[in-house]
Amino acid sequence: MSDQTLLLGLLALPLAGAGLSWFIRPVGVLHTLVAVTHLAVLALALVLIAGLLAGGHPQAFGNWLYLDDLSGVVLLIVAGVGMTAAVYSIGYLHHELRDGAVAPGEVKRYYTLLHVFSFTMLASAVSGNLGVLWTAVAATTIASAPLVDFYGSREPLEAAWKYILLTTAGSMVALLGFLILYQAGVHVLGQSYDFSYPVLGPVAARLPAAATSAAFLLVLVGFGTKAGLAPMHTWLPDAHSQAPSPICALLSGVELNCAMLALFRVFSLTAPSAGAAHLRLELLVFGILSVLIAVIFLVTQKDFKRLLAYSSIEHMGLVTVGLGVGVPLAVFGSLLQMVNHALTKSLMFFATGNLLLRFRTREIGAIGGLARTMPATAALVLCGAFAIAGAPPFNLFLSEFSIVGAAAVSRQWVPALVVAVLLVIGFIAIVAPFNRMVFGGGNPGEPVAPAEINPLALVPSYLTLAFVLMLGVWIPGPLSDLVKGAVRVVLP
Amino acid sequence: MIDLVSYSLAGVMLLLTFWLLVVRLVRGAVNAYALQSLVLACVCLAAYLQSGLLHLLVLAIATAVIKAGLIPIVIRRQVSGTVYDKRETEYHVGFPTALLLGAALSLAGFVGAARLPLVRYIFGEPILRIAMAVILLGLFTTVARRDAVMQLTGLLVAENGLLLLGLVMGAGLPLLIDFALFLDVLVGAVVMGFLIARMHATVSTTDTSELTRLRG
Repeated sequence: MSDQTLLLGLLALPLAGAGLSWFIRPVGVLHTLVAVTHLAVLALALVLIAGLLAGGHPQAFGNWLYLDDLSGVVLLIVAGVGMTAAVYSIGYLHHELRDGAVAPGEVKRYYTLLHVFSFTMLASAVSGNLGVLWTAVAATTIASAPLVDFYGSREPLEAAWKYILLTTAGSMVALLGFLILYQAGVHVLGQSYDFSYPVLGPVAARLPAAATSAAFLLVLVGFGTKAGLAPMHTWLPDAHSQAPSPICALLSGVELNCAMLALFRVFSLTAPSAGAAHLRLELLVFGILSVLIAVIFLVTQKDFKRLLAYSSIEHMGLVTVGLGVGVPLAVFGSLLQMVNHALTKSLMFFATGNLLLRFRTREIGAIGGLARTMPATAALVLCGAFAIAGAPPFNLFLSEFSIVGAAAVSRQWVPALVVAVLLVIGFIAIVAPFNRMVFGGGNPGEPVAPAEINPLALVPSYLTLAFVLMLGVWIPGPLSDLVKGAVRVVLP
Repeated sequence: MIDLVSYSLAGVMLLLTFWLLVVRLVRGAVNAYALQSLVLACVCLAAYLQSGLLHLLVLAIATAVIKAGLIPIVIRRQVSGTVYDKRETEYHVGFPTALLLGAALSLAGFVGAARLPLVRYIFGEPILRIAMAVILLGLFTTVARRDAVMQLTGLLVAENGLLLLGLVMGAGLPLLIDFALFLDVLVGAVVMGFLIARMHATVSTTDTSELTRLRG
């Protein structure tokens, strides 16, 4: 198959899935369909990434769709976690239907929206044109807001509204940045040119500096809102705690990375002219502030899904700090952190999704003795908690260590020390509550007989855990090549 | 001559944005948006006459149909009549404070736009300044108003400002991108209208200060 067919297929599959889901009634067929489309998307994505590693640059329609190593990393995340979240959705919805928490008619709506959401995230990953990139990233919000509101009561509605309003406002600010970047290109490439990375990249150093630094700041604030950077993060804990658990995994693990991709992309196009030094300072300010605010709220958190949401803000803050530190090792850590965050956070939302299905509460204090009552899920919760907190031998330890270590080696003592201290506090704040939930005493009224949800609610989680453990001790050659290639895209 | 016409039209757009700032009825805000979109379509038309770029003519027609027609109709259909006709809407801050902030922001837009080193293509600097002020005031409405429909209208007005800015700066952008943006806005408005309808059904108001259960 040619690259063009592969790229088109990648986008056509979820769209076809969305169209079909809308017309299919039997729940079993819907379940099968979502698994098939997402497995096929993952297969196509892997073929495309293999082509990328072999030295090609898959593209379609001129540069409208285009893949390089940077977008390859994000495509891997979108397709990989997209697949596990789709399979977990089956187990999750199966249980919700059995308990009567979701009506059979709603399943159709869920899967249609899930397919559209996947489409927008895949489109963000494979867009080559910056206009397409902006549209796709902005569209991820629009597709996912109705999913945040899926349960339809007062709190999800509040979360969905805050989410769509603030992130759309952020996208508008980012669009202003994109327009100014286009204008900057006009100085070099003439009034009408192809607004894509392969065209703009080679002339990046010749763009007018004042315009590019304004463009970068606007995109940082605008898409920083979408990536959950403080102080524009206020919508995130609400949206990421109120949505159904498989959707939380996608919102936290994948969607944030799509906004990050746009930020990295614009950084690579603006830094050569605007001067990396002051762009990096801006990144460090937002990044460190995000880690700081996340850790403060982690310490006082009583709701375990909100705890995970604040941990996402911490992780996105670290990704931003990594780019801000700016040496190749730090950017490597930062991109690896995106992959690792996607894996660990989806794992945690799957695992806590099982708790939510069984105990119907998000309160940390209301759950105890999981080691006895849900042993298979308890193991996931415990491993996942240590993983997102950044303990060895799990994968996030490697990427976080790379970022902090690179900051120290390049003598950027302030980010190195501040982030290291905050990470330690964050570690305790994350591990302690989950540890209590697993080993602490159960509450009197709680069910005590050991029981799990169903196999499909466990298989994707254990698969994810396998990757979390593997990437903690060994990064396979192709992945390492891909991330190194992405570093070269970001720091030309 | 055509410069003068388009400058005046852009001035009318700014006046309509000020109207959005002071208007108290939801109906008034949506009408202001529809009217502003119509004026924006005229600016696109003027830009087409000035430059002869055919895609600006398409843009003018699309703006008139989608933004002045379709989106206001969608909002009207989604939002129940009780909200649409009667609601007095307020700011999170006092009304005088809101006006002062609005004035400061439009000033910031005027000054800030001139400091950006941009190539002006079809129109000159005045439109750039006006577009910046419209964007900032639209975003201000979104974050400062308490009513959900007003917040949505603020976003739409900000987007009008962006399109105006795009006319000045990015006239060379491919038409397909403009249409992607249009689709984004249209679908976004439908989804937000749907959420507003659900809000009204759930908490019997579209005042978002009633929605404050999620904290910490």
